[in-house]
Formats: sequence, C-alpha cells, structure tokens
Amino acid sequence: MTEPTLPSRPEAQQRVDDIHTFRNELARLADEGVLRLDATQQAAVGKHHERLLAEFAALFDVDRDSRAKQLSLGMRVASFLGALALAASVFFLFYQFWGHFGETAQVAILIASPLAAFALTMFIQGRDATGYFTKLAALVAFACFVLNIAMLGQIFNITPSDRALLPWAAMAFLLAYTCDLRLLLAAGICCVIAWVQARVGTWNGIYWLHAGERPENFFPVAALLFVFPLLVGHRRFPGFAPLYRIFGLLCLFIPMLILSHWGRASHLDLDADQVEGGYQVAGFVAAALAIWLGARRGWPETVNIGIVFFVIFLYTKFYQWWWEIMPKYLFFLVVGLTAVLILLILRRLRRTFRPPTGEGAP
Amino acid sequence: MNNLTRSHTLAIGIALIALTNAVALGGVWWNRSATPESALTLSERELGLPWRSLRFAEESGLSLNLNWRVGDREAGEFVSGYTFSGGTPEWLDAAHMVALGFAPGDLDSDRGRRSYTRQLPREAILVIELGGPTWQRALARARENAGRHAAAAAANAGSKQFADRARQARDELAREEGSNSRLFVIDAGLDARQLREKYPDRHRFLLLRGTVRPAVRDRGGTAPQATGYVSRIGSGRIHVPYAQRGLLESARGVGEPGGRDRFTVELLVGQRLEPWIADARPGSGAADAPPANHSGEFR
Repeated sequence: MTEPTLPSRPEAQQRVDDIHTFRNELARLADEGVLRLDATQQAAVGKHHERLLAEFAALFDVDRDSRAKQLSLGMRVASFLGALALAASVFFLFYQFWGHFGETAQVAILIASPLAAFALTMFIQGRDATGYFTKLAALVAFACFVLNIAMLGQIFNITPSDRALLPWAAMAFLLAYTCDLRLLLAAGICCVIAWVQARVGTWNGIYWLHAGERPENFFPVAALLFVFPLLVGHRRFPGFAPLYRIFGLLCLFIPMLILSHWGRASHLDLDADQVEGGYQVAGFVAAALAIWLGARRGWPETVNIGIVFFVIFLYTKFYQWWWEIMPKYLFFLVVGLTAVLILLILRRLRRTFRPPTGEGAP
Repeated sequence: MNNLTRSHTLAIGIALIALTNAVALGGVWWNRSATPESALTLSERELGLPWRSLRFAEESGLSLNLNWRVGDREAGEFVSGYTFSGGTPEWLDAAHMVALGFAPGDLDSDRGRRSYTRQLPREAILVIELGGPTWQRALARARENAGRHAAAAAANAGSKQFADRARQARDELAREEGSNSRLFVIDAGLDARQLREKYPDRHRFLLLRGTVRPAVRDRGGTAPQATGYVSRIGSGRIHVPYAQRGLLESARGVGEPGGRDRFTVELLVGQRLEPWIADARPGSGAADAPPANHSGEFR
C-alpha cells in the first residue's frame, strides 16, 4: 500500500467542505431514522475528521466553517486588490526615479528587482499557510520581471518583439504552479494567447502588432488552451483546468462574435455578408457544442460560456432582424419567450445527463 | 511543496530571469559592437524634445521623438508638417509594394481594390535621407508658394483672404527653413544590405525598421494607383542616455514647440537597426535660447 500524498490547499479545502456536508447529512439521516451510527463508529469517524481538520488547518489554514469561508472571500479580494496595487506601485516607483540613475545602475536595479521579488515569494510561500501573502509577492515578482524587460527595451531602444511574451509567460506559469495562483495562471495564459496569435499572424507576413486585426488568428490558441488540460492532468490544481477552458472558449467565441458583425476583418477573401453569415451559424453551432460537451463532461464553466454566447449570438440576430420593424413590446416579448425556450431546452439537457439513480454525483 | 522542490523552483526562476536578461543585453551588445550601420548628426528639427504637457508627469526619463516625413504631393501646399509619423510617399508604387510582399490587386474593380487594401501591415526597412533632394523640393515648393501668395496678396491689396493666405504661406516657408524636419523616407525594402549598397552614404541615409500598409492613390481623372502608408515601428522615441541628459533636459519646456537648432545629436544605428544617442552638443541655434551654463545647459 502506498503512502497517501499530501493534498494541495484546494484539495484540503474540498475535503473540509465534504466533511461538513457529511456531518450535516448524517445528522439529517439520524433525525429521519434512516441511519444512526453507534457510539464507537461515531467516535471513530469524529476523531478521524477532527484529526484531518486540525492537520489541514495547521498545514493550509483552511476555512473550518462557513464564517471563516466568508472572511476568506474578503481576504481573497483584499489580496487581489493589494497585489494589483503593489504591482502598480513598483511600476510607478521605477518611473519616478529611473531617470536619475546611469544606465549601469538602471540595468542593475531592473535585474535585481525581479530576482529579489522572486526569492521573497519563495521565502514567503514556505511560511504563508493562507497563500494570500504569497499571491501579493508573486504578482509583484511578475510585475518586476515585466518591467525589467520592458524597460530594457526602452533604455536601449530595442525593436519591440513578441518574443518578450515567452519569458513573461514562463515566469507567470512558474509562479502559478509553484504557489497555486490562478491570477498568475491567467496572466501566463494571456501572454501565451498574445504570442501564439502574433506568431500565426507573422506566418502570413503580417507585422506582429497587427496580427490581432485578423480575429481568426486566435483560433489555434483557442484549440490549444481547450485541449491542454485534457492532455496534462491538473488534479492537484483544481481551478486551473477550468481557467484554461474559459480562456480557450473566449478565444473562440469573441473572434467569432466580431467576425459575425465585421466580415471584412476575416482572412477569407469573400464578400463580407457571406463571412458574417458563416460566422453567425458557426457561432450558434460552437455555442451549442460547448453546452453539450460541458454538460456531458461536467464542466460548468464550459456550459455557462456556451449559454452566454449562444444568447449573445441569438439576441444580436434578433436585434438586427426585428428591432426596427417590430413594436418594442413585441420585440421584448419574443426575447422573453426565447429565454423560456432556452430554459426548457437546458432542463431537458440536464435530465439527459443526470447520472443513473444510485450512482451519485461526482 | 518540500524544501528541495522550492529550491529547484528558485533556481529555475533565477535562471529564467538571468537568461532573459542575458539574451536582451546580448542583443544590445551585438547591435552596438560593430561599426555603426548609420551615423547621422541630427538637430532638434529631427530629434524633438517631448512637449512638457504631453509627458507623463511622474516619468523621470527622457526620450526624443524622431521626426521624419514623406514627400507627398497630395499633402497640400500648407501641410508640410512639423512632425510627421507616417504618410504615403510619392515613390511607393505598385512594383515597390509587390517587392515588399504585398499581393497586387486589380484596382479597377471594387473587389480587387478591397482585396488589396485589406492586406495588413508588413515590416519593411525604411531608407530615411537627411537634407536630400526630397527636402530641397519641399523647401523649393514652400518658397514658390510663399512667392505666389505674396504676389496674389499684392495684386489684391485690401483683401483679408489673400493677406491671410500670404501670411500662412510665409509662416510655412519659415517653418520649412527653420524648424521642420529634414529627414524624408525615400525608399523601402526587405534587405538592409541591398539598400545600403544602393545608398552607401552612412552619414546621410538612415536605415530603420518600419511598417507599410497598402493604400490606393486615387486622383480624379487618372486610374487609381497602388501605394502604401509608411509608419515607423514602435513609438519612434529614442531614449536619452544619462550622460546626455543635462543639456537636453534644460532645453525641455523652453520655447516649446522647439524644432530649432539648440542642440545637435549624434545618432548611431547598429547591426540590428536599433538606434542610440552617442553624443549631444549645443547647436547653432543655442544662441537664440536662454544662456547656457558651463556644462552647456540652458538656464
């Protein structure tokens, strides 16, 4: 039998939540006379759970009850805002004083600041069970590194290049996976999105800063991001796989939405109306597929994004077709009835994918 | 995460930061290591100080704007410009655009014209000439305009409209003679070596990276012609090293908008076509400026 591996913080928090759910349901079952554990079993389960809770609290400072959970949410918000503010502070601090130093000192400061911030992040991470202070330090380290490369470019008049996005992405991913930070993961994914779409554009000869003017350049990175969590397991990072899928779907649907209204931006050298019509159909199909796939695989974020974009595609079409010609009461009635229809379809879909009785939800 | 893993992460992070900086600084060293690709002495006309009101108040650094222009007959007689950052030069024709990688289009049909203009910008190497024939033509044109409008005003004495035009043309001539940039983009290509062979004078022709976007020149009465809109890559700003800051910093905000000859700057461009300022000295127009102190700074 192998030694159980130490869970990550989100896994520990999930276990704590499961323990509370179990206790509540056990109490209800006892009240309803369905199941009552004998004293020995109760003591054994209670002792085991208390040991686990104490262990997780010591290791990860998890939320042991709902009140602690509410406070944690506030701390997460404060930590996020503080991290952004500290990163901005570093940026403005350098801008305020960098002109007073010679180039050698400037370069030394620029290199030393991400090194120091990164080392500080690692130091804090070893001592910060909550992860909030680690997040602050990690974002500052990332901001210092971005500033480092951007300012070197400015000081030495280096030609702007999309290649700078790669080390930034690498740093963001390193911090995200080391410190279990979704904010940094989002930053890394944004760098990857910018780099891949720029590369796709330059393969067609486009100057990289203009590659975004062809929204189709985002489709390859959309596929890459959506498939990545299927290829690489993220069991120890529970929030990471949904984040990849969210960004992947946004890279698919936002360009589709743009192209469905502005066909001239397409790579396809066709009549703009044809391109727009094609992408409107493609948008509906892709949104429906996302809803179906999300429901089938149990990916709530995929379902939600699919629904949001299906509704956006539908309502923008309604607006184009009927806003001018319909009385407003009739237009909004149609919109409302459509919402009811969508609800009915989703309810049916939910029944279709409901697990068989006795299997239980994952 | 145990200590060993954290140590590994720390090592990877430090290596990433060090390697990235080494690549960036290595590129800078390589750019500046050989004989400069171009070496021009420019005045405040070509390298303008940023307007005080347009600067980010808390930024302590200083960059100069590289002001360059294109020879464009369609610009109009009163629009030769103090600082330009793009335009459709007269020499940029269909053959040039094809050489830059753009697909030619049938400009006589709407579809062909649309296909041509919807192509996105491509990178090109721009040849920028200092005080050459293109600038001489712009100067001659400004003189001719001033003379023509002065004669018209004299022939229509008492007409405010003619007097205003004459004054406008005179002001334009004064700007062309004294403050407008003399840098003109005169050619573009993809191969820096070939362009340098064609324009061998490194003290007169500057090679810099830019972008070109397809455009159509449509003059009434003639068939539409393929051309391109030229713009510089990046912000077009050149950082002033700390050693040269004193002279330029003191001139900043004095007598805006500037564009005179209060200082001259030696601008070098390296192997990667990335420029840097090697030296800055008080210029011939420094006498017009407030007095300078012993280090050449304007007080």
